[in-house]
Amino acid sequence: MKKDSSLKEKTKYWLSLEQWGKDKEFQSLVTRQDREFLTPLPSEKEAEGLWERREFLQLMAASLALASFGCMRRPTEKIVPYVKRPDDIMLGEANFYSSSYFDGEEGFGTLVRTREGRPIKIEGNKNHPMNQGGLSARAHSHILNLYDPERLKDPQQNLFNKEKSNRESIRAAYSTADADIVEHLKKGKAAFLTGEWPSPSSEHLLRDFCNKNSCAHFVWNPVNHSTLAETQKLCYGTALVPRLALDRARLILSIDCDFLGTWLSPTEFNRLYSQKRKANRDMNRLVVFESLLSLTGTNADWRVRIMPSQQLNLVLSLVHSLMEKGFVKAQWPNHLDKPSLHSYKDFHIKKEVWDQLINDLWETRGQSLILAGESNAKEAKKLQIAVAWLNHLLGNDGWTVDYTHPYRTWTWANRKLETLVENLEQGKIKTLIIHRTNPLYSYPNKKRLEAAIKKADLVVYTGDREDETGRLAHYILPDHHDLEKWSDWEFQKGTLSVQQPTIRPLYRTRAFEDALIKWASLIGTDSQLGSWYEYLKKNTIAGAGLGFSWNSFLKTGVYIKNPDQRERRSPARVFKSSALSSITHVKRTRSKHSDGEYELVLYLTGGLKDGSLANVSWLQEFPDPVTKICWDNYLCVSPATARKKGWQEGQIVELKKGGNSVAPEEGVSSKSDISSAKNEKQKKTTNIIKAPIHIQPGQADGVLALALGYGRERAGKVANQVGVNGYPMAEVLDEGQSISFVSSVPIDITSTSKKIPLANTQGHHSMEGRQIVVETTLKKYLKNPGGAIHRHKVFSLWSSHQYPKHKWGMVIDLNSCTGCSACVSACQSENNVPTVGKDLMLQGREMHWIRIDRYYKGTPEEPETVHQPVVCMHCDNAPCETVCPVAATVHSDEGTNDMIYNRCVGTRYCANNCPYKVRRFNWFNYVKKVEKPLNMAMNPDVTVRSRGVMEKCTFCIHRVREAQAKAKLENRTLKDGDIQTACQQSCPTGAIVFGDLKDKSSEVYRLFNREDSYSLLEELNTQPAVRYQVKVRNKKESDTSHEKDHHG
Amino acid sequence: MNEVNNKSNSPISKSLKRPPLVTGKKTFKNITDDICALTEKWPGIGYFVALFSAKSLFLFYIAVMAAIVVVGMGLMGVNNPVNWGTDIITFVFWIGIGHAGTLISAILFLFRQKWRTSIARTAEAMTVFAVMTAGVFPLLHTGRPWLAYWLLPYPNQRGPLWVNFRSPLVWDVFAVSTYAIVSIVFWYIGMVPDMATLRDRSKGIRRHIYGILSMGWRGTARNWSHYEMTYMILAGLSTPLVLSVHSIVSFDFATASLPGWHTTIFPPYFVAGAIFSGFGMVVTLMCLVRLFVPQFKDYVTLNHMEAMNKIIMLTGMMVGYAYASEFFIAWYSGSHFEQYVFLNRAAGPYWWSYWIMVSCNVLIPQLFWFRKVRRHLVAMFIISIFVNVGMWFERYVIVVTSLHRDFLPANWGMFDMSFFDFGALIGSFGMFLTLFLLYIRTLPAISIAEVKTVAHEGH
Repeated sequence: MKKDSSLKEKTKYWLSLEQWGKDKEFQSLVTRQDREFLTPLPSEKEAEGLWERREFLQLMAASLALASFGCMRRPTEKIVPYVKRPDDIMLGEANFYSSSYFDGEEGFGTLVRTREGRPIKIEGNKNHPMNQGGLSARAHSHILNLYDPERLKDPQQNLFNKEKSNRESIRAAYSTADADIVEHLKKGKAAFLTGEWPSPSSEHLLRDFCNKNSCAHFVWNPVNHSTLAETQKLCYGTALVPRLALDRARLILSIDCDFLGTWLSPTEFNRLYSQKRKANRDMNRLVVFESLLSLTGTNADWRVRIMPSQQLNLVLSLVHSLMEKGFVKAQWPNHLDKPSLHSYKDFHIKKEVWDQLINDLWETRGQSLILAGESNAKEAKKLQIAVAWLNHLLGNDGWTVDYTHPYRTWTWANRKLETLVENLEQGKIKTLIIHRTNPLYSYPNKKRLEAAIKKADLVVYTGDREDETGRLAHYILPDHHDLEKWSDWEFQKGTLSVQQPTIRPLYRTRAFEDALIKWASLIGTDSQLGSWYEYLKKNTIAGAGLGFSWNSFLKTGVYIKNPDQRERRSPARVFKSSALSSITHVKRTRSKHSDGEYELVLYLTGGLKDGSLANVSWLQEFPDPVTKICWDNYLCVSPATARKKGWQEGQIVELKKGGNSVAPEEGVSSKSDISSAKNEKQKKTTNIIKAPIHIQPGQADGVLALALGYGRERAGKVANQVGVNGYPMAEVLDEGQSISFVSSVPIDITSTSKKIPLANTQGHHSMEGRQIVVETTLKKYLKNPGGAIHRHKVFSLWSSHQYPKHKWGMVIDLNSCTGCSACVSACQSENNVPTVGKDLMLQGREMHWIRIDRYYKGTPEEPETVHQPVVCMHCDNAPCETVCPVAATVHSDEGTNDMIYNRCVGTRYCANNCPYKVRRFNWFNYVKKVEKPLNMAMNPDVTVRSRGVMEKCTFCIHRVREAQAKAKLENRTLKDGDIQTACQQSCPTGAIVFGDLKDKSSEVYRLFNREDSYSLLEELNTQPAVRYQVKVRNKKESDTSHEKDHHG
Repeated sequence: MNEVNNKSNSPISKSLKRPPLVTGKKTFKNITDDICALTEKWPGIGYFVALFSAKSLFLFYIAVMAAIVVVGMGLMGVNNPVNWGTDIITFVFWIGIGHAGTLISAILFLFRQKWRTSIARTAEAMTVFAVMTAGVFPLLHTGRPWLAYWLLPYPNQRGPLWVNFRSPLVWDVFAVSTYAIVSIVFWYIGMVPDMATLRDRSKGIRRHIYGILSMGWRGTARNWSHYEMTYMILAGLSTPLVLSVHSIVSFDFATASLPGWHTTIFPPYFVAGAIFSGFGMVVTLMCLVRLFVPQFKDYVTLNHMEAMNKIIMLTGMMVGYAYASEFFIAWYSGSHFEQYVFLNRAAGPYWWSYWIMVSCNVLIPQLFWFRKVRRHLVAMFIISIFVNVGMWFERYVIVVTSLHRDFLPANWGMFDMSFFDFGALIGSFGMFLTLFLLYIRTLPAISIAEVKTVAHEGH
């Protein structure tokens, strides 16, 4: 618009005398007229609120243009194509990097699946001799730990007040922190307190650093095998934890040793155990003497309940009976009383049964394996010596006890934590660097330790969050997550495996080893180390020797020195009978307990173990393989004990441990109890924990069992206040060198009237006489493999579906399955299965696509336990398909039952009509609740499900499609074994086989049609695509005969 | 027969002549006045209190439903083994309630049961409102109610993607919607002559509204001839629906493979139960109507109530027979799943619901053997409430006890009703009562035209 106010000035002609005379009134009139007639376009100011014709036309045009603009396609937003993509990344295609996993106790090789540069799933490395593709539930959950929203994003400095309590935290810079730390290190009086991790380079670097800078080094690992290593030294001269070759053992005798669940290297043990578990003449036999019902116990062919205090007596009685029978010729140590010839009565077993066991042990000599747990640390040394003696007498050493490939343990380490505490108290140590351990959570003498640590001038912690220990540290310099970090591992001697970083560190973290190198160069003790990666590479190449290629090491993930040697028999070592002198004073009590005399056992669960990964929701929601309870720990008691004390499931009891120096500790069993607990906290000073009762069939009477790993205070939103911390109930032994998880200190138990519900995913534990898990004995099986299966005559009036190309099917071998539940986590990781929390679990809203049903048979006192993984059966005559009103669940021409989430309206009729109840409904919008960056762990191949739709196992159909596409690209047909479902892939025992039933040469076809295979609920004629193979127990007729007065 | 005013003196005619269906020596004008009065007079405070309470409950119901739709089905107590809960139970309950109306208006009409005339209109209204109340539940119970229209087979651009005609839920959609439409049409057609009466008596806006609703009814012979024909045809159309709707609703259960659901007895058993519960509800409402609208006592006499009570007793025994035969068949079938489910019903964790059902539906109606009870208003009101409660529990037993323990014991679970379950259940009564209270004050609650045919005058 043109401004034309000057027009008036330019007017040279006058219209009237008034204008000529510049009359004011006239002037104003003219101005108005000007606006109306003379000026074609008025000034903007004047035009306010008025539209001229032209303006109107302009606006019309503009609005027309705008209106038509609204009808245009979306505006162009230029995106930049991924032209310069990294060589190894193809969008939509997964990359695999070989790596390793170590959870504080066990370790094995892994493959990390990454998509578009982010790790999304951990799979087992087939090249690794220990797990050979199998994986544990915890390893799967490691991925969620990487994306834990509560990890520290920056190094942090805690500003303490005088009491070192009321503090605020600020972000720190590495340079200032390093300068401060180095200054303190230079002063001396420094110590490291670390966990134990079998990384040769890391160990080398750390020990080197300690030596050069004269730092003390203490190791604290609540669960360690130093006792085992020590006794091996006493017995054979070298401290080591031998490899246990379960695949060579025909008879395995386990004494309170949950090797299939939690002890030492369970994933490897599951694999080895299952190799000799095939139902043939060579099938192994598992005899378990235990106090709790462990996962190993549930798999036992014969199981006897004993008290933890009877362990040693049992082993000595076995040895003695072997001698008495004249089988074994050995000298009974003079200082030891001989066990009575009737000692078998202590275990409530009959003479014939005992004799049978002795005979069996002798018969399988050289091919048997005696294992004993270490939880009872007081007796552990004696027990392990006795076990070593027995293994030696039976000739197992060198064959089933493979001392040539021991687990790497830090036998040199100073584990005397009490010494550290004293040094701190006396001011001998002023600087403390804590790495890979969380002692203020797991050390029983917590209060003293805390006070001592507060005395230090500088405490540095490398944990990934401000947890129980981090709270007391001046600096928290977070270490990389294992998935972001280079490392090398030697879990077993001679087997090196690599840990490659699979993603750039998400946050400003720094490898602990890089920190050491940096400090060394700042102090000036060592400036030639290079980066941690260079150091690691150099060290690994130097250590591996000839024939080692770094690149192929990274590719395969594993390097085995002398691979042939693993299969070879080693000569038996010479047993030093002097070791036996350590065995003194054998308790010979009968397990009958008087009132109030209870033995408390602290045990580990396969999910949480020592509690380090507690903030991973998958693990919290992981149903315990035996109890099937999640989101809590609880005090397991036997049915008889519960009856005697009048305890009910979920009833809260107070455990008071008197007479020791343990700090006041208050644990609460659920969040609702917090307020009441706080009130009591002010009053009570003794060591009390409150836990709900769980009545556990198969547990020894008089034993109380509490799982460790719960009751975290500062682990994060998921784990805080879930369950109670059991560590304060443990006993500190040998100056803090070890802690005993079996407590013989008298425990006061008070029942309260309070009750909390326990989130049990299985409501009923008996098969009610239905054909669900078919079980038989080896003897019967060998005569007629399918004899135990009751076949139904079924027929259909309708013609069946046609499967022109493929028909996917699955066979689950109940005999191999140990119930370890690794598949549950695998499926959760693969299929983006949400976790729902305790409240919803209580309402029966778990989302797991695969579940392990566990049934008890027999009496509650002596149950026989079976496990049965249940996935969607993909029935040919699927009951779900016919009832869906909108056809959201349909049958594919490859035999799978497909769920179309988009179409699902959520009537849930399908779930009602599913006889196997494998369908899971999204009651709420679970995906929305996934906190960033946890969404990075999602598998992009699998849709996330919105609220209101049904979901279930898909047979990993995306993997099927991926394999089909790959085969097509390679211009070939699918091979058997090309497709592995997630559950199958991570199963350490190989119990799950998946494949094409149309392919008659496939493994699954062979197993599917074998006479020992059956379908679940066959009589309903749903024609499942999943079949089970019968469970076989290697039973002797004598196994069930217990002494009559057993239950006292 | 203390209320019957028998004019005849001869003992023979005394015994032969039927007692009049309408008492109080009503003239035609009396009848018109009595019935129209309800719509013409300003209601008393009592009515407003009732309406306000019902409406508040209705608003609460809407809030509960809104919460469920916005937050998720998970607010209700349904869970993994028990995927259907209060919504389906209450749906079947309300659908069942509706049956009495159709039975009274259609079947009794075809059987020339003249006594039906004074209760037919209200029974039909009850049917319509019950079906409306019921219709909300299947929508509410889906995970994604905003997509529930996918259950309708309408032409669409998704392929076209059709519904699965094998699913009983699709049959349900047809059955219930047909039932709703036919009931509404039948109800409305029956009201046309009465609307004209109301129109003729009213002024102003009312005259217009009733004028439109009466569809130009002039009361000519031609009008009447067409009307009666239409009414007869609609009665004929409705009659099979009485049987079909609840049979199809029962197919939701009967065609499933679940033990406890998979039984052939369900269709007749459900129909008998529906009539049972429907009459129970009619008796409940009629007792209230008689209490609050005293002039209706002459139209809805104790004879009517007694007749309905007899039907309640009969259908109650039919239902009882069904309960017994289920047990017999479970044993006779030899299927241990089936046997377990029925034992579990009677003695499992939900035994109380089973025994509430049996006592309310089978035992308590046995009191109607006594004539005094049959004709005692307080007694029949209480019994009818028991019948309503019992029939809700019947559906509870069928849905919950069958689902909570099915084939694999590892899946067994329990069902606990949450706040929202109770909210939906109780709130639905708010919806029903609000509609009913509005109806009774705006529409002719008794068929004026039909009652006149059975009135004393002219006989």
